[in-house]
Amino acid sequence: MFLRIVADSFGRRPRHKLLTGAALALGMGVATAALSVSLDVGDRLAKEFRSLGANLLVTPQADSLPLEIGGVDYRPVNAGAYLPESDLPKLKTIFWHNNIIAFAPLLEISTSVGTSPGELSGSNSGAKIQMIGTWAGHPLRLEDGTEFTTGIEKTNPWFHVEGRWFSDAGNLLRRVNVSSTGHIYVPGSAECVVGGKLAQRLNLHAGQQIFLTLPDFEDMQKFRPCSITGILSTGGAEDDAVVAPISIVQQIAGKPGEYRRLYVSALTKPEDAFAKRDPKSFSPAEYDRWFCTPYISSIAFQIQQELPGTDVRVIRRVAEGEGQILTRVRMLLWLVTGAALLAAALAVGASSAASVIERRTEIGLMKALGAGSGTVGFLLAAEQLLLAFVGGGAGYTLGIILARLLGERIFGAAPEPSFIVFFAIIALASGVTILGSALPLRRASLYEPAPILRGE
Amino acid sequence: MPGSRATNRAMFWRIIRRLLGANRGRLFVMLLALGTGAAVTAALLNLQVDAKRRLTTEFRAFGANVIIAPPNASPAGNRLLSESLMNKIPADFEARPILAMPFLYLVAQASSDSSQSFIQAVVAGTDITRLPQIGAGWKFEPLVPAIGASAPSLLTSMSPSCAIGARAAEQLSATIHGVQLTLDNGGKRATCEVVSVLTSGGPEDNQIFTDMATAQELASLSSRVSLILVRAEGTPASIERFISTLAKSMPDADVRGIRQFTEGEAKIYNRISGLLTATVGIVLVLTGLCVMAAMTNVAMERKMDVGLMKAIGGSVRRVLRLFLAEAALLGLAGGIIGAAAGIFLSIGLGKAVFGVAARPRLIVYPVAVVLTVIVAILSAFPLRRLASIRPASVFRGEA
Repeated sequence: MFLRIVADSFGRRPRHKLLTGAALALGMGVATAALSVSLDVGDRLAKEFRSLGANLLVTPQADSLPLEIGGVDYRPVNAGAYLPESDLPKLKTIFWHNNIIAFAPLLEISTSVGTSPGELSGSNSGAKIQMIGTWAGHPLRLEDGTEFTTGIEKTNPWFHVEGRWFSDAGNLLRRVNVSSTGHIYVPGSAECVVGGKLAQRLNLHAGQQIFLTLPDFEDMQKFRPCSITGILSTGGAEDDAVVAPISIVQQIAGKPGEYRRLYVSALTKPEDAFAKRDPKSFSPAEYDRWFCTPYISSIAFQIQQELPGTDVRVIRRVAEGEGQILTRVRMLLWLVTGAALLAAALAVGASSAASVIERRTEIGLMKALGAGSGTVGFLLAAEQLLLAFVGGGAGYTLGIILARLLGERIFGAAPEPSFIVFFAIIALASGVTILGSALPLRRASLYEPAPILRGE
Repeated sequence: MPGSRATNRAMFWRIIRRLLGANRGRLFVMLLALGTGAAVTAALLNLQVDAKRRLTTEFRAFGANVIIAPPNASPAGNRLLSESLMNKIPADFEARPILAMPFLYLVAQASSDSSQSFIQAVVAGTDITRLPQIGAGWKFEPLVPAIGASAPSLLTSMSPSCAIGARAAEQLSATIHGVQLTLDNGGKRATCEVVSVLTSGGPEDNQIFTDMATAQELASLSSRVSLILVRAEGTPASIERFISTLAKSMPDADVRGIRQFTEGEAKIYNRISGLLTATVGIVLVLTGLCVMAAMTNVAMERKMDVGLMKAIGGSVRRVLRLFLAEAALLGLAGGIIGAAAGIFLSIGLGKAVFGVAARPRLIVYPVAVVLTVIVAILSAFPLRRLASIRPASVFRGEA
């Protein structure tokens, strides 16, 4: 009988139910969109902040003091310590390896550049410039067999190249046997990009070949040609430099397989009061919590453990600014989402109140036939709940579509549908409909059947 | 017939009064819906205007975003800027403060009284009391004391103070403050007292910061600086304008945005402001839904009234006008109440998020009220059904 009344109520007045359901679905849809966008927004914004570039800098621990002014290190090649490039795949084995977005090793030397070998030989020493060796779109084979592509264009996203980045392939020395006992190395066709200001000064353009060597260096083996694949503009010291695959710079500098600086770009959780404490003062449980949270300090610590002999420093300007702004924006969004949820609850509550009010006569009849207030309330609550499930479910679907549209417009990527949101929405829909119906139901339970049935 | 028109109008308002007064509970729900909507809209609009402004201020955390360097500075030609350029930088631009700091870099031999041996280090001359302002995010241990008052009198008698980067401090064993540093550049010597050790994660960790006069004396370069770092606040467009204005006033210097931060800030700013706009839209839609639900309710209850009005000769247009007027009135009332509440809400929100109360923007409130009225009228859409009511069937108690 109970089910029959409920089914009948839906069958008899499909339009009414549809209307209430639609209002519910719309309200919940918007709530879903707001909720999933703001659940997702933290991660999205954190990724967005990576456009500020690397937030960790790795340098050799036993290094001499770098003499860096305006982005140019004035130390000679033979001063200071170096780090092995072969260790780098280990970066993707740390606990938070998925949060390591990109990294690029750097080796900087000062070189002479010329457009022909003649410009560099003898008394002509060519133009003295800074040469930066790094990775660009560098495929890295990881221990688990997967390939990870990383490079300077990801750690420093404000580097723009007109043309294309150099490719790493083909820049190694090819061994050519000249006789049964001897062989020489012939350089492959190396590629590089040159800074915009340098290109202007030396009148260089893409497709041209330039020659590089250490200043005052006579050994032709360390004399490398490279063809320009693009003009780099960064707004920094790199505008006056040649950027080439790190292997070429290593060959010129005579430091095979070594780098001096490593930039790491990692997704982090903004540091809170807990993370700002000294890890040495943690109890074991606190230490685990710290280690298993992607705070920048714990990621730095894990990298240091993985790469021995390094000093991993947080680039505070990027990290602190990011943390501060991210915390604020997140809070703002949560408050706004709260407001949106409240508005949605009001809309749904009002519509479910309306649907109870319009059934006064029915309630009167039921009571006249001897139904208690409890039975009537239960019946109506069951109906409303059914509506809430259906409407909430439809609203969730609608909301996910809306969230996709919003997410794509704002962040260029849709948020992942999440089950937490689904359950939250269904719970909210049921809670709000029951609450919204409770008030008119209470009033309905006070009705005297006779006046209602008379139409008063 | 001016007389009947006046009567008509009186009747119109009388009906409206009665309509509004008929069901206090529903009136309350509708006012609540409209009021909440208006409050949230007003608060968000206000916050959107204010949050965007506030956000650009928050970007201060990223430190300098504009650099003034000698033109075509190449490693070979070590050109310098005249210190007098500092006078050309305005104290504020478009009502936002501008922070500018000159820097003079030189490579010198440094030693501390605890390390004795000399090592090569970069010495930067600047105004070290303002260093924490431009070096946003850097950690100073201990904080650079606000020397201000005490410095000038002590400068002549005692050695100047300096701040030292963490790595340089380690190599010079000068991590305890109060250590005396000796700086030597080709015979020119200066001493300074470490007042703070700074950690930046950047090249600053390897540098020794001292005051401009000491650095200029060491480098034998009076009134010359290597570069000027500037922190400009504002929207990405306003920073662009600032850079071009500054570039025009300094034809003999290279003024450019530090792309890492100008670009990054612009991207983040656009995302967040898009997000805020979207939420305002969402809240408006929800307000509309809320009122629509209440109006559907109204339409159903008013069947009898409408039937009666029609039966005694009221045209559909007139009846509808009546209900629309009711909706507009409700919208106005809800809007005004809500906007007033919105002022407090936005102050609270601003305090919670940015730690500073959002400054109320008067333009926001009329906009919020108008939006609420429009939403109220639009959501009276369900009343359309009243047009199709047939008086006879209503009175017979059908449908």
